[in-house]
Amino acid sequence: DEIGLIPCPEARYNRSPIVLVENKLGVESWCVKFLLPYVHNKLLLYRQRKQWLNKDELIDITCTLLLLNPDFTTAWNVRKELILSGTLNPLKDLHLGKLALTKFPKSPETWIHRRWVLQQLIQENSLPSLATKGNLGAAPMERIHRLVQEEMNVCSEAAGRYPSNYNAWSHRIWVLQHLAKLTVKVLLDELSSTKYWVSMHVSDHSGFHYRQFLLNSLIGRTVTDSNVLVNEQNPNFQKEEESAGTEAACAEEQSVDIPRRLEEEMELCTELIDNYPGHETLWCHSDETLNNSHHSPATSRMAQAMDVDGLNESSSKQGYTQETKRLKRAPMQDSLGPEMEYQFIDKVLSTCRDVDQARFATAYRKWLVTFLGQ
Amino acid sequence: MHVGGEVDVRSAYCAASVASLTNVLTPALFSGTAEWIARCQNWEGGIGGVPGMEAHGGYTFCGMAALVILQQEHLLNLRSLLHWVTGRQMRFEGGFQGRCNKLVDGCYSFWQAGLLPLLHRALHARGDTALSMAHWMFDQLALQEYILLCCQCPAGGLLDKPGKSRDFYHTCYCLSGLAIAQHFGSGDLHNEVVLGIPENCLQPTHPVYNIAPEKVARAVMHFLQYPVPSPDPA
Repeated sequence: DEIGLIPCPEARYNRSPIVLVENKLGVESWCVKFLLPYVHNKLLLYRQRKQWLNKDELIDITCTLLLLNPDFTTAWNVRKELILSGTLNPLKDLHLGKLALTKFPKSPETWIHRRWVLQQLIQENSLPSLATKGNLGAAPMERIHRLVQEEMNVCSEAAGRYPSNYNAWSHRIWVLQHLAKLTVKVLLDELSSTKYWVSMHVSDHSGFHYRQFLLNSLIGRTVTDSNVLVNEQNPNFQKEEESAGTEAACAEEQSVDIPRRLEEEMELCTELIDNYPGHETLWCHSDETLNNSHHSPATSRMAQAMDVDGLNESSSKQGYTQETKRLKRAPMQDSLGPEMEYQFIDKVLSTCRDVDQARFATAYRKWLVTFLGQ
Repeated sequence: MHVGGEVDVRSAYCAASVASLTNVLTPALFSGTAEWIARCQNWEGGIGGVPGMEAHGGYTFCGMAALVILQQEHLLNLRSLLHWVTGRQMRFEGGFQGRCNKLVDGCYSFWQAGLLPLLHRALHARGDTALSMAHWMFDQLALQEYILLCCQCPAGGLLDKPGKSRDFYHTCYCLSGLAIAQHFGSGDLHNEVVLGIPENCLQPTHPVYNIAPEKVARAVMHFLQYPVPSPDPA
């Protein structure tokens, strides 16, 4: 379930460099300089049609290569061909990718290939003629759900292995958009399951951005034209994906208490800011959450007519971006009064000893004054 | 980015860049592209790889530059973009970070600082009267200090930050960023701001294509001699 390189510059004993302990695979570093060029060369010769390799050999060679260097696009592409020809099970590549990510948590090519594999799996899944016997007996929805959960795990692990792992969090968002269809349930589940994680990684801007994405998506879902928003958030998917999304949107009867969610988010921010002074990410997140809370869908539709932003901002932006909601004269919500925020800022400024914290607090107050007109 | 490959803002920039220089740019080729790029701008003000993603220096440059080429910069919220990018210059190091709360990196000297000439131009075109006629809206000297003092490898070449090893990518973008920081405007409005000895001054670079401005002019002139090819195979 994990791979790693064992620093071992010389082969002392005449034995295999492979070490397997408790399901973790280690490779002694001395052998890499022999192994990698060897397999690399073999694959290139195959690609140049100078030397034939049968499918088992191809699978082995690409596997070895990718565990040593997962950013080798050609190797992933060979595996794409094997998958398309039916000789390689796509699930194997999900496993291989997962292993590679334990050592190379950012590897762009691994994430990209992973999305390609998942797209293959969904297409397979949505074909109406496909009998369930090929899907381990599970119903398609169940299968998708399991895939989604697994992806959330893989992303979470990778995010933990490298700070602000853009690729891991982007992938996570992609999975929610294209596999989970941004259902209210999954959005709420993700909000609760990432809460602990972000509290343990207070500088991880990507993690907090993910929460903004979740909250924004929830806000989007509760707007009456949510069907339209859901479809527009899936630019790369057409046809059967769209109709599935619309069904899901219609089925979402439960209303989400957005103000409550935003309030909880503010509480989380406040607590973290108090406990961990000087993290810009927390203040950014706080800014944006407060901004959202003052421009709920009900007020923003009314307020859009009042948009008097002098710079003639584009009005064609999606509900996603908050700029259409940054109004100077918006009605205030009672639950999150700015007075509370001012009190909070004052408290921070009077008790903190961290220079950055003081700066962020001052900037936040300035922002409150400018943007909320209070 | 390639057949069966990933889709993100970089490919839009690559395509726009190549198409405009070689005179194959047609509205049909880029129909919908500008609107798609605009959707990549998020609440932070910067631009992510695809709609929904976190704002990131590299993608932001690609998005903005592509829109400049397509003459659709107005689709962005330029004010929030300006706010975001100026917030990315690090007050202690002088260099730029790629995203909020991350570390400084020499390559962002170009990706981030390079946005300011583009923004300056776009805001100027809108008739903004508050724009400087001598400086970009970032601390040009501080950036030059970071690059010259922290990003040079004693054996030659440039790098991300002290402690990292040199590579061509960082050498390219540190130098490009240095050129941006040293040269404001062009022609009559050209203003040089050079830290240290005059020999430190680099040739200016074109803020959209990041090649010498003369080369851009020559390429465009050369390809204008040829008609725009039709997409139908002969």
